[in-house]
Amino acid sequence: MLLQLNHIYKWVKQGGKRVFLLNDISLDVEEGEFISIMGPSGSGKSTLLNVIGMLDEFQEGEYIFNEEPVHSLKEKQRAKLYKEYIGFVFQAYHLIDELTVYENIETPLLYKNIKSSERKALVADMLDRFNIVGKKDLFPAQLSGGQQQLVGIARALIAKPKLILADEPTGNLNSKQGEEIMELFKELNQEGVTIIQATHSESNAAYGNRIIHLLDGSKQHQASN
Amino acid sequence: MLRNYIKIAWRNIWNNKLFSAINIISLAIGLSAAFVIGLMVYYEFTFDTFHQDGDRMYRVVTDFETPQGNMKNGGVTPPMRLAVREELTGIEQSAYFFNWWISESKAASSKQIFKDPEKIILTQASYFDLFQYKWIAGSKETALQKPNQVVLTRKRALEYFPNLPLTAVMGQSIEYNADIQAVVSGIVEDFDKRSDFFFDEFVSLATAKQTGSKDQILSDSWGMTNNASQLYIKISEHSTAAQIKSQLVALSEQHVDADMIKYNNKRTFNLQPLADLHFDQEYGVYNYSRPEANKNILISLIFIAIFLLLLGSINFINLNTAQATQRAKEIGIRKTLGSSKRQLIIQFLGETFLLTLLAALSSVILSIFALKVFDDFIPKGVDATLMASPWFAGLVLGLITVLTFLSGFYPGLVLSRFKPSRALKGELIRSENKGSLRKVLTVSQFVIAQVFVIATLLVSKQIYFMMHSDLGFRTDAVAYLQTPWEDQKVDKRLVLEQEIRDLPGVSRISLGGMPPASHNMATRMGIYKTKNQEVIQELQVLNGDGDYLDVYSIDILAGRKPLNDTIEEYIINETGMQAFGFHNPEDIVGKYIELNSNKRLIVGVMKDFKQRSLKTGIVPLVLTGDTGRERRTNFRTVHLVLGDKASGWSGTLAQIEQIYKKIYPGEDFKMTFLDQTIANFYEQEQRIASLLNWATGLSVLISCLGLLGLVIHTTERRNKEIGVRKVLGASLVQLNLLLCRDFFKLVLLGYLIAMPLAWWGLHNWLQDYAYKTEMSWWVFALSGIGMVVLALAIMSFKTLRTVLRNPVESLRTE
Repeated sequence: MLLQLNHIYKWVKQGGKRVFLLNDISLDVEEGEFISIMGPSGSGKSTLLNVIGMLDEFQEGEYIFNEEPVHSLKEKQRAKLYKEYIGFVFQAYHLIDELTVYENIETPLLYKNIKSSERKALVADMLDRFNIVGKKDLFPAQLSGGQQQLVGIARALIAKPKLILADEPTGNLNSKQGEEIMELFKELNQEGVTIIQATHSESNAAYGNRIIHLLDGSKQHQASN
Repeated sequence: MLRNYIKIAWRNIWNNKLFSAINIISLAIGLSAAFVIGLMVYYEFTFDTFHQDGDRMYRVVTDFETPQGNMKNGGVTPPMRLAVREELTGIEQSAYFFNWWISESKAASSKQIFKDPEKIILTQASYFDLFQYKWIAGSKETALQKPNQVVLTRKRALEYFPNLPLTAVMGQSIEYNADIQAVVSGIVEDFDKRSDFFFDEFVSLATAKQTGSKDQILSDSWGMTNNASQLYIKISEHSTAAQIKSQLVALSEQHVDADMIKYNNKRTFNLQPLADLHFDQEYGVYNYSRPEANKNILISLIFIAIFLLLLGSINFINLNTAQATQRAKEIGIRKTLGSSKRQLIIQFLGETFLLTLLAALSSVILSIFALKVFDDFIPKGVDATLMASPWFAGLVLGLITVLTFLSGFYPGLVLSRFKPSRALKGELIRSENKGSLRKVLTVSQFVIAQVFVIATLLVSKQIYFMMHSDLGFRTDAVAYLQTPWEDQKVDKRLVLEQEIRDLPGVSRISLGGMPPASHNMATRMGIYKTKNQEVIQELQVLNGDGDYLDVYSIDILAGRKPLNDTIEEYIINETGMQAFGFHNPEDIVGKYIELNSNKRLIVGVMKDFKQRSLKTGIVPLVLTGDTGRERRTNFRTVHLVLGDKASGWSGTLAQIEQIYKKIYPGEDFKMTFLDQTIANFYEQEQRIASLLNWATGLSVLISCLGLLGLVIHTTERRNKEIGVRKVLGASLVQLNLLLCRDFFKLVLLGYLIAMPLAWWGLHNWLQDYAYKTEMSWWVFALSGIGMVVLALAIMSFKTLRTVLRNPVESLRTE
């Protein structure tokens, strides 16, 4: 098992009352799964992804990742864990504007202290694989949305993560670009990468082998396939 | 990794050109000041640090305690030169020398005469034992053994004998005051390091017997102390300064004489470490023209540099934390990509480092110009070549490091603390970043700038006050002409006076001693005895003929002038009269005061005037004629009032010079205007004022740059709000007020804090002056209003432009 969430609660106080962002979420994820999280805006999709990605904390519950109890780890150890195993893909791409395509893809390797020669090889492989060798010296502002998201995925993959967390990866793209991205995810999943995506769209959700429905922070049990 | 950081740092600097420029300029101003001041400090603190065993070397000095006050004398009484060798223990070496002032010298073989040559001492081989010179010719053992020998430095040898090779200079003779001859018996290298021992000519001490001052130099009497008699010792390794000092105290007690007991004076011999010599203000060094190195001024300078650096750093911190919004996204991404907090802080420090480095590089170039611009403020020896020293490199690196941490650490800390999940959503900025620290920093900036502004105004006011207040005697159109001091007779001077008197452009004239206000005052003890008590009072003595008081328009309150120029009768000033216990001018007229054990008649009382600068009060003073004319005249200065300025002073001055040159051919013509002399009293204050002007200008500039940066930043962020308000009908003034209000409050708060600080500091400063200008409310009001107007102007520069923009545009771009 890659990760396990047991009765996770997350809330914020508003006017003295608790407003639950995540309400008793339990979830087991096996390695190699492709999970889609669905639900309307504000249902807690992003929050759940952030919790799984260890970017956000929760108040109650247990989170075990790769046999490590995340809820009792210190921030440093958590950072080490997600640096090692998790890649992020965002709806708004979140590339660093001041860095070129090449440099954006290279950055995670810098934080893993990988040697320069090895970095070069890895980035070159990735550029090759996504067919963006010719764009390596461009800045994000010079790329189309689809291209930016490709760079975003390349950057998420460069450190060879076990798990990719994608928050509405196609939300800012047109349908054709979106389809291409989803095909790419499918391919990656077949290569063994575990993927958890949050999405609005039924058709995108269908790429996954399991769908989780969220509403107001709670898991809905109406469907699964 | 590093390359990645540098790249992103560089692109950030480049993309925010305006903010980068503000940051670099602010830091560069502080750094340039720090560099120049650093060089000065380095220069002043490295005097005489090269002597062998310098830490064991001391100057023997003399402290006097008298009922009139304490005096410090850098010299010793001549017998001390023998006493330190024969009577004291624990002294390894000693060197005695006499600072020899002569009127002229020349090489016997040459016609060229050197007037008032400087840096000549009479000394012995022991001087060269204590201070190690490199000998080019001759040897320290034999060079000063006999009378009429002289050792020259290479520099001086070349001045006397420009056409001879150094080897041929040996054996040449030099004439002093036309009657003493000395043969060159040695040549030494000048010290190539900074030293206050800059003497160029060392005449054998035995030669002193042929000079007019042989009594002073080689006397056996313990009664007299001349500050030209200098004594240095090196204490042996096993003794301490305290041990020597206690022996010196004992020695002083052995040699108490009757006069000291009578006048209740106390004399104590003391030690001054060699390291204290350069900054000494009390005992005096041998500087002839160089203003003394002043530790206090250096310390104020260091503070100014620190303030300017702080101001620059504050700009940096403010602008960077304010810009955090723009960088939040990048931080969020980096964190999700695995960057640790530490790595982020390092990244930001790297960026700060790069900026600081740029600022430092431009500062090094700026400093070279600054050294030229501040030429008259900076000691002569300080120039760009000092920058080559490793010490300077250390200063530059040290400052860059300190500034990088000071400016970069806090913004780095703030930025790296962002939670990635929120940073990516752009949530945190409004909630977490209230900018209270930024407000505190901005207020402190304006406190510093405001204090400087108030200080500048008030110091200038005090200077104006001192230069323009009534001294009690005439200062305008008065000039005085000094005559050659080696001429001891009055005859030529009487002729000079007579001839100048006949010039149509001169309205009044007098022959006398120094002008009423000068640095050089002779003093004498005056004793007034009545049946049951004795009043002893120190009196300053002025000499002048019957016209002296008329030239300076000083009134006589009672009595009369002395009957003639040579009779020993005295006019006393009001303060002196009161010191002897009289309240009515008429009462003291006709009384006798004992001066030099002779009874002297007081014939008149003159109105008080201020004898020195307004720093000191009025002291008791007497005016008399030329009382010692048979030995040497005291009438050495011609005082005159020039006629109407419109009729042309330059013609009159030229005529006076002609007469002077006729009577004293070949002598320098030294004519001084009294108001210039008085302005010179306040040289120190003028220096402080010009320093303050710069400090004020620069600190105001840095603070305003920072304010501009912040205003630009916040105004940009409120673009949309301004657009909406404008659409809703807000007027230009209302909008401008809205935008400026927050900053305006900070400037005002800064002023409120600065005011008492400045008041307190300046109040203390003014305590040193006997006559103080008022600390008027308008100084404070004016400086406050000035600052507020300036701040408003700067803010409006940006806010008005924003407000004037078409709202449709700003709403769309949002």
